[in-house]
Amino acid sequence: MANNIAAQRIQREFKEVIKSDEVAKCAIRVELVNDNYTELKGEIAGPPDTPYEGGNFVLEIKVPETYPFNPPKVRFITKIWHPNISSVTGAICLDILRDQWAAAMTLRTVLLSLQALMAAAEPDDPQDAVVAKQYKDDQEMFRLTAKHWTAKYAGGPGGNPDFEMKIRRLTDMGVEEDQARVALSSYNWDLERATEQLFS
Amino acid sequence: MDSEDETLYDEVDSGNESSGDEVDFPMEVEGNNPRERQSEDDYPFEVLSTEEIVQHMVDSIKEVNMVVEIPATTTRILLNHFRWDKEKLMERFYDGDQEQLFAEARVINPFNRNSQVINRPKPNRRQSTSGTEECEICFTVLPNSLLTGLECGHRFCMGCWCEYLTTKIMEEGVGQTIACAAHGCDILVDDASVMRLVKDSKVKLKYQHLITNSFVECNRLLRWCPSPDCNNAVRVHYVDARAVQCKCQHVFCFQCGESWHDPVKCHLLRHWIKKCDDDSETSNWIAANTKVSQYNCNRYDEEEAKVARGAQEKSRAALQRYLFYCNRYMNHMQSLKFEHKLYASVKEKMEEMQQHNMSWIEVQFLKKAVDILCQCRQTLMYTYVFAYYLRKNNQSVLFEDNQKDLESATEKLSEYLEREITSENLADIKQKVQDKYRYCESRRKVLLEHVHEGYEKDWWDYNETDSKPNAMARLPVIEHPARPNNN
Repeated sequence: MANNIAAQRIQREFKEVIKSDEVAKCAIRVELVNDNYTELKGEIAGPPDTPYEGGNFVLEIKVPETYPFNPPKVRFITKIWHPNISSVTGAICLDILRDQWAAAMTLRTVLLSLQALMAAAEPDDPQDAVVAKQYKDDQEMFRLTAKHWTAKYAGGPGGNPDFEMKIRRLTDMGVEEDQARVALSSYNWDLERATEQLFS
Repeated sequence: MDSEDETLYDEVDSGNESSGDEVDFPMEVEGNNPRERQSEDDYPFEVLSTEEIVQHMVDSIKEVNMVVEIPATTTRILLNHFRWDKEKLMERFYDGDQEQLFAEARVINPFNRNSQVINRPKPNRRQSTSGTEECEICFTVLPNSLLTGLECGHRFCMGCWCEYLTTKIMEEGVGQTIACAAHGCDILVDDASVMRLVKDSKVKLKYQHLITNSFVECNRLLRWCPSPDCNNAVRVHYVDARAVQCKCQHVFCFQCGESWHDPVKCHLLRHWIKKCDDDSETSNWIAANTKVSQYNCNRYDEEEAKVARGAQEKSRAALQRYLFYCNRYMNHMQSLKFEHKLYASVKEKMEEMQQHNMSWIEVQFLKKAVDILCQCRQTLMYTYVFAYYLRKNNQSVLFEDNQKDLESATEKLSEYLEREITSENLADIKQKVQDKYRYCESRRKVLLEHVHEGYEKDWWDYNETDSKPNAMARLPVIEHPARPNNN
């Protein structure tokens, strides 16, 4: 029975999102991954006036059998530099995906909440402690790093020649590019310390 | 003891009772209430089965309802909010801001029910003119009559309510604090609605269990019997570190819930149990038994080595002291377990003796002997915890003499009970066993009375613990189920 409700709900919600104003503005999107409505692909546009502006972020949405009485399981597929999102796994720390979930919430409200989270991080309740620390200690460094990640992984505008150069220095030493980016981002783009961490 | 009892009765703890107009005041009911039990030192209590707990809860609600005249389901939520303290509820109800009181307790003010509810987001109802409505959970359009909701006005279909409540109860184990299913609405679901909307009897049963459990845990005058698989709770008139016995025979301390642990006080016992559980003793062992480096570069430093050896000796002595008390404590605990097995063999012996021309009454001394043996073991076990923390003075020496005396008498009694009983030595053994258990019993009394006297006269000094004697009084209080935080 629960299973029935879940599928029925998702079908209806799917139509709702497609019809919604946000789709018209290209802000959020949902796509089916399989036929039985248990897995979906979500997309969120990076909100304006944030380091994520211009990027397109892909989400994995898994619908549990007990949906909508339990929240959907959502994580970022696109790599993102954000205090409440793991830079490694894409796991999200957001109350409505945990204990604040309400059965009357929908995929649309989830995606919009995520978009709001991207615009207003909560560094005191972090998922990624390294990012949160940088966010609190050095806002500008955080902004540049997040913007760089957006450009690199989410198709955002602008590069950062300084960052690119540092990454190349590490890849030349045989380090994988993503790994080099994480290490440099974690150490505020201090090449020496990133190298030390990678080779120790 | 007497004077202490007097003052305690005067300050009968209200818990969930209103002390002023309490009908069954403990001093008057003795003997009237068939359920009432009495421990040897005048501590009235009663054992409640699960059904009786529910009845007790219903009675509490009724009692409040007679005064405040609001729906019983609302009263229950309010009472739970005040941890079943009726007086506190009444006080707030009549002296405080009622609107705020209802908001805090997460119920709709029953006096405002018919007028328009303000300050609450108006649910956006997808109601059409044709008498149908869309359920916001399953998005199905249904006739109005199939949708229902709480006083907050958020309506969902019966099937979704049932699923929602089942998930909360079975998966999240929430009973008292299930909120409305709408996003951002914190109004609580009352128990009448739960019972109406949930269909599965298994879920209903779990819900009732959750409700009674939180009733007992909130209520200072109630405590579940800690014995495994026992569903009874003990109810007292005031909280104290006293022995209570459940119908399942388990005897425990009402204040801390541990097995009855006279003469040691709750806070020391707690400290001791923690000490035994921690691995802190492992590190003490390492400190006491591993070699300390006595060399500084290549020069042997006489002074430093002396200090190091001194520290090591000290920790070794402390460890040995701990082990001394711990071993004796553990031995009595172990023996106590064996004595429980002794009951079975004694029963056999008693039956055998009755076939040898002895009457039922004549063989009862054996069971009595085992009873006393167990009591002595239990007391002895806890005397070692008490002694471990005790600082040496004249009274502590006297205490240790009492302890030694009781211990040797107890071991003798144990020995007698293990002997083979034949028809020839029966009379002799009976005499010996009876003498011994009477002696044990009197020695146990003497030891306990001496310790109690010491508590009154402040003879006992403790070492090695910072916990305050009355820290225990706060322990049984379980925090009010927290609302999920909003960040």
